Amino acid sequence: MSVRFGGLLAVDGVHLEAEAGRVTGLIGPNGAGKTTLFNVITGLQAPTEGRIFIGDEDVTNLKPHKRARLRMARTFQRLEVFGSLTARENIMVAAEICNGWSRDRVDPKQVTTAVLERVGLRAVADDPVDAMPTGTARLVELGRALATRPQLLLLDEPGSGLDHNESDVLGDLLLDLAGEGMAVLLVEHDVELVMRVCEDIFVLDFGRLIAQGPPADIQANEAVQAAYLGAENEELVEHEPEEALA
Amino acid sequence: MNDVMQYAIVGLATGCIYALTASGLVVTYTTSGIFNFAHGAIGMVMAFTYWELTVDRGLPEWLGLIIVLGVLAPALGFLLERLLMRRLHGATVSTQLVVTLGVLLALIGLASIRWSPTEPRVLPQFFEGHQVGILGVNVTYHQLVMVGVAILVAAFLRLLFYRTRLGIAMRAVVDDPELASLNGADPDRVSAASWAIGAQLAALAGILLAPLVTLDIILLTLLVINGYAAAMVGRLRSLPLTFAGGLALGLAEAYTIKFLPTDMVSKVRPALPIIFLYVVLLILPQARLRAGRLVTTRRVPKVASGRESLLGSGALILVALVAAQFLSGSWLTVASAGMVWALIMLSLVLLVGYAGQVSLAQMTFVGLGAFAMGKFFGGGSLLGIVAAALIAGTVGAIAALPALRLTGLYLGLSTLAFAQAMTVMFFKDERVFGYGGRLAVNRPSILGMSFESDKSFFVLVCVVFALAAMGVLALRRGRFGRKIVAMKDSPAACATLGLNLTFTKLSVFALSSALAGVAGCFYGALRGQVGSNDFEMLNSLVVLLLVTISGINTVTGALAGGLTFGMFPKVQGWLPEAIGRNFSYLGAGLGALGVARNPNGWTSDLSPIGDAIRKVLHLDRGDHDDPTSIDLLESSDETQSGEEVRELARTSS
Ligand SMILES: Nc1ncnc2c1ncn2[C@@H]1O[C@H](COP(=O)(O)OP(=O)(O)OP(=O)(O)O)[C@@H](O)[C@H]1O
Ligand SMILES: [Mg+2]
Repeated sequence: MSVRFGGLLAVDGVHLEAEAGRVTGLIGPNGAGKTTLFNVITGLQAPTEGRIFIGDEDVTNLKPHKRARLRMARTFQRLEVFGSLTARENIMVAAEICNGWSRDRVDPKQVTTAVLERVGLRAVADDPVDAMPTGTARLVELGRALATRPQLLLLDEPGSGLDHNESDVLGDLLLDLAGEGMAVLLVEHDVELVMRVCEDIFVLDFGRLIAQGPPADIQANEAVQAAYLGAENEELVEHEPEEALA
Repeated sequence: MNDVMQYAIVGLATGCIYALTASGLVVTYTTSGIFNFAHGAIGMVMAFTYWELTVDRGLPEWLGLIIVLGVLAPALGFLLERLLMRRLHGATVSTQLVVTLGVLLALIGLASIRWSPTEPRVLPQFFEGHQVGILGVNVTYHQLVMVGVAILVAAFLRLLFYRTRLGIAMRAVVDDPELASLNGADPDRVSAASWAIGAQLAALAGILLAPLVTLDIILLTLLVINGYAAAMVGRLRSLPLTFAGGLALGLAEAYTIKFLPTDMVSKVRPALPIIFLYVVLLILPQARLRAGRLVTTRRVPKVASGRESLLGSGALILVALVAAQFLSGSWLTVASAGMVWALIMLSLVLLVGYAGQVSLAQMTFVGLGAFAMGKFFGGGSLLGIVAAALIAGTVGAIAALPALRLTGLYLGLSTLAFAQAMTVMFFKDERVFGYGGRLAVNRPSILGMSFESDKSFFVLVCVVFALAAMGVLALRRGRFGRKIVAMKDSPAACATLGLNLTFTKLSVFALSSALAGVAGCFYGALRGQVGSNDFEMLNSLVVLLLVTISGINTVTGALAGGLTFGMFPKVQGWLPEAIGRNFSYLGAGLGALGVARNPNGWTSDLSPIGDAIRKVLHLDRGDHDDPTSIDLLESSDETQSGEEVRELARTSS
């Protein structure tokens, strides 16, 4: 795929695959085009060029909700939680929406209870989400995505805002999900987490794919190191967007 | 041939004014992100001020122009930005809309106090009486001035945006306020400048347009709708396209008038701007869903549980029964009117408060309800109420249909166009409200009980409100409610969960319109008769503003807003005549400015009291798994495939 914003080629001829049953990593410095790729895959952004397939189906011209019904779900880097609902309701509404289109129906209440347990939100289930810290709200988004029982799960920096322990638990969960046959595509700046859970890693820089391979290869790759070192210098002036909800 | 040329000149000249108006809108919108609904009102006030200075006080024209365009207009724009608009960054579209609509109504109110609408005023054209022949056609100097000014403004804006530091900063702010501030541009300063320039352009258009139409407060304010259409052609971004749109609209209008049979012209002409706006909105490409908008969410008030709403409704009916014994005469009318307004506002709570869809046409559906009630089944029966709900609901869905692709601002504009079109083409038609334009609506008799007397009618309206409120709350607590709230909070997330937003929006529009239709039955029954004035678009704005002021997210807000509006006639009586006559615009308009402070309305400031009552009554226990919620529009096929659940529940231990 390629995506052009005016004069900027944000994604430049990237070919990417996420296989079922494993966690695939997508990394790269700030502004590399990772979120843009996610938007293209989920249909929130039209590609300038290229095609997107889910399984054998060409979904390039499908609306976002039609694509989601092919069992794809995602989380957002800039949170898109339902702030006026509680964590429980966030997950419940996702399960209910899923019931509206899915052929196999499941009781939304049971799904909600199971998902809350699974992402570790039981203690705060009835708190309104707009009052939650970013890390917790990210878990709500993860739970919401899981409630639609996806086969392809796209996660945009789910680990930012989590402490070391929580991020370990997240890693375990991702491995479990993959173990159950899900295809997980993970965008994450926490290198440790990425190296631990991903079997295959794609590296983007300035919209171009500069490397692909298993974690060990990526760590040794010089182009990748150069990209990150270059970015590190820039990062001094880079400013992270405010992500607080309140 | 000459004729064709003559109309071309007229069309181009008015088109230039539309372009001027529209470019002002675009300049403020692109740099501050706020669509200024008060743009036309600013132009109107400035045209009147110019009239007062030059005609009334006899200042020379050039001095009047300098004072208005050089001092007053930019000062007004600057103040608006400083005091109000700056607070709206990151606010939801509906909050932005309500505040700028508040400015619109407040300016109309203030202008009506200063310049009594009953007194005729004429603003002379520039170089009155002079004209030249161009290509065998007579062109007045005023028309030349209009074209000349438009060309100068276009050149000025071009230079500003491409050659000056300020202009380049303005363009940067448009693209990305965060990055622009990193580059040293001060977004606040840039935004203030854009509001000052926008107000100048509005004033210019107003002064040039006023001599061609009468100096009429409402007329001048609404003429800007033509500007809206032109601005839409440029998608609120491109100035060249905006200018082209303005010219095209001017020409289209002139030729429609030329080629239409004369008896049609008088009817269609007032609706032309609306039709243009509607057409332009319809051919706009669908807006993409955007993720990552920076919208600051405000803590939304708690939703009453089943028991709470039952208790609240019971209390309301009790109070009504007692009050009915003590109230009499005009106070009883005030109370009944308040409850009817509250019922109307309840339909907005559902649509705007819960689902986040803006409607500036709610009184249109109220009107349809009153119409159905008065026309069918004897003018006051239960069947009439059913018919009202069905007709209003259906029209609501149909009206929303083309608007569904649109979001936020564009949706608001299209409902505004719809309201205007319905007034001009439906309510004003003699066949609708009958000869003389008044239709009798009777008080209903339900199951053999008559509610003819004022007291019984008051109690009836209270009961209806209580039932409707319980229904709306139950809906909100159920599946449908969760879905529409989710849609409001993040349409993008809903779509990526597989929700068909179109269908959800359509159903909430239909429901809300149906409720407004039911309210319309009682609106008509309270007054005994209705006419087209009752359902004008500006009234819809007043209702929307008043419920937002008290709290559009809650049933309490609707109740408080309705009772406040019910009090208006009383308050008007207490005020000096000139102020009292314009009190509804002034009160709603000025009140709406407070929404910039707290989008949840003033009743949300009382929530500690609500919490205290909950404590005393021991209502603050867990209220999920609520059996009283309504599940709507869903097949209740609850096949439980336990297998799937277990699959998910297999945890990571
Ligand atoms: N809607 C847009 N219009 C114009 N440019 C955009 C838009 N969205 C993203 N960009 C630009 O595209 C490039 C890629 O952005 P993207 O958000 O995809 O990066 P990213 O890899 O997700 O970065 P990060 O790690 O900071 O999240 C950036 O230069 C960004 O400024
Ligand atoms: Mg990103």
